[in-house]
Amino acid sequence: MEAEIVQFVAGEESGSSSARLPLGPVVAVLAAVLVIAIVLAITCGAVRIPLESIEACFLHSRPLAPDQQTILLDVRLPRIVAAAMVGASLSLAGLLFQGLFRNPLADPYVIGSSGGAVLGASVGMVLLPQVSWMGFSAIALLAFAGSVATIAIVYSLARVGGTTQVVTLLLAGFAVSTMLSYSSYFVEILDRDYGMGLRVLASWLHGSIGVPRWTQVGVVGLLLLIALPASAVLARRLNTLALGDEYAQQLGVKVESVRIAIIIVGSLFAAVAVSLGGLIGFVGLIVPHLARLVMGPDHLRLLPVTALTGAAFLVLTDTLARTVMAPSELPVGILMALIGGPFFLYLLRRTKRGYGA
Amino acid sequence: MSAFLTFEDVSFSFAQGKVLDRASFSLAQGSCTALIGPNGGGKTTLLRIAAGLLTPTSGRVLLGNQPLLSLRRLEIAHEVALVPQQLEVPFSFTVEQIVEQGRTPYLSLFGGLKAQDRRAIERAMELTDVTSLRHRVYNELSGGERQRVKIALGLAQEPRLLLLDEPTQNLDFGRQMDLINLIRSLHSEGIYIFAAMHDLTLIPGTFSSVVLISPFERLRQGSPEEILKSDLLERAFRCPPPRSSTLQHGVSTPSEFAL
Repeated sequence: MEAEIVQFVAGEESGSSSARLPLGPVVAVLAAVLVIAIVLAITCGAVRIPLESIEACFLHSRPLAPDQQTILLDVRLPRIVAAAMVGASLSLAGLLFQGLFRNPLADPYVIGSSGGAVLGASVGMVLLPQVSWMGFSAIALLAFAGSVATIAIVYSLARVGGTTQVVTLLLAGFAVSTMLSYSSYFVEILDRDYGMGLRVLASWLHGSIGVPRWTQVGVVGLLLLIALPASAVLARRLNTLALGDEYAQQLGVKVESVRIAIIIVGSLFAAVAVSLGGLIGFVGLIVPHLARLVMGPDHLRLLPVTALTGAAFLVLTDTLARTVMAPSELPVGILMALIGGPFFLYLLRRTKRGYGA
Repeated sequence: MSAFLTFEDVSFSFAQGKVLDRASFSLAQGSCTALIGPNGGGKTTLLRIAAGLLTPTSGRVLLGNQPLLSLRRLEIAHEVALVPQQLEVPFSFTVEQIVEQGRTPYLSLFGGLKAQDRRAIERAMELTDVTSLRHRVYNELSGGERQRVKIALGLAQEPRLLLLDEPTQNLDFGRQMDLINLIRSLHSEGIYIFAAMHDLTLIPGTFSSVVLISPFERLRQGSPEEILKSDLLERAFRCPPPRSSTLQHGVSTPSEFAL
């Protein structure tokens, strides 16, 4: 696998032809990697649960020690599943937005979902810190609402005379996003419990999966089940949109409706990730980029590869985040920035072609 | 022969002003027609209207007997394909992946490419001689190769009428001749051609009919002998044409010019 990638990268740089790995084996390998990552994540932690006792529990129905069972079922597993879902969601959102903007530097946050989420979260922290619904804190729900509302506002701002200019959309997203991010500081100042709220907000802004309730995991899983088939339909449309709006229109694609659908599904993915993990950068930027290097730009092929890579990537990073300085935890967002930032810069330097991977 | 595409008093205005003023002409079935005129004279606009991508400010376009705008987008896509001047593609899409997109009008929402789609894609690549480039990255091709890939993309749509916007633009004279030969062979395959052309010397011997549009002259349609006359061209382009462009001294062939 690694040899193939190296060979592939070499071929890519010589520019002769583009070697593309076959989808089936790649998906199988990635699924195996995800399973290994999950097993690793289960056994590692402040309290070590040996692989043998888990194996004994599942295969020979020999119960775990009560404390191990509690840690496994109520703490570790929901967190691992959440990390996998956040990783897949962020990566898929990145894939959809990069395809939509025809730009490999787009990510889930570019059209304003991050700014909206930050404002929503800080309002939640100040006004409704104790309220929760189905395991979701008001903070997460308001972040979700903020992200969706911001994208709706940005989109209507960029829409002039029935069409949307992608550049306007990006600029409006950037502007609104920055405005909202900074206005959240204003909300913080209104907080009587200044220090406390700030700490919660900080942890959330740095991106941290935390320990979700199973109801949360269930609701988010259900949302993903709706969004996944929708993105399969949209992936084919993204391939056509790569030819440009006018050409896609000539081929019978209803460009504007497809674009709205992509924004809705993409924001759903982004909002799902935000509600479980706060702001985790770089995943949505790097994973689709990496998948494209290996699989080529066909969005239909990229879809499963991106989802699996993102899931495995975040499960591993989150495990690292909670074990590297155990018993205290590093926010996974910070770890992601430390790993992802340099890696992304490396990618940027390597692919100097104007059209991006 | 009956008309395949008819413009009836078609006008078009952008915010900046009028581009087309009551243009009327028709493309016969089986025709191979060149569209000529000065820069900014509305050639691209006219082609986009012919493809149903722009709605005329007034007048109408007929496809056969039916108004073009009464047809659904997919119905038009089965009949007419427009090969644009520029095709900018992000990412490293291969030639084959790009040509495959031409089948979009034939696919259902969830369905993939079927055997007949595959056949159309292979045929489009064969006709344009890009089969050997199929796994190459589009963005890494030369200008002449890209031009052929763009035409293959249009052909994958299996249109009856192929609209070409400046297909010989930015090509050296060797690649220009390749392209003219391609247009001839497509025409002999029964595909109707309507191509905006800059280089007037490439028209005789290939195109059976010429449409001249100009802001300074009313629209003319006729045989190359009727249209490519220096006095008419001088009025239309506001400049005397280079000698080799005109047909005053008999039919000049493109190869004469190339040498």
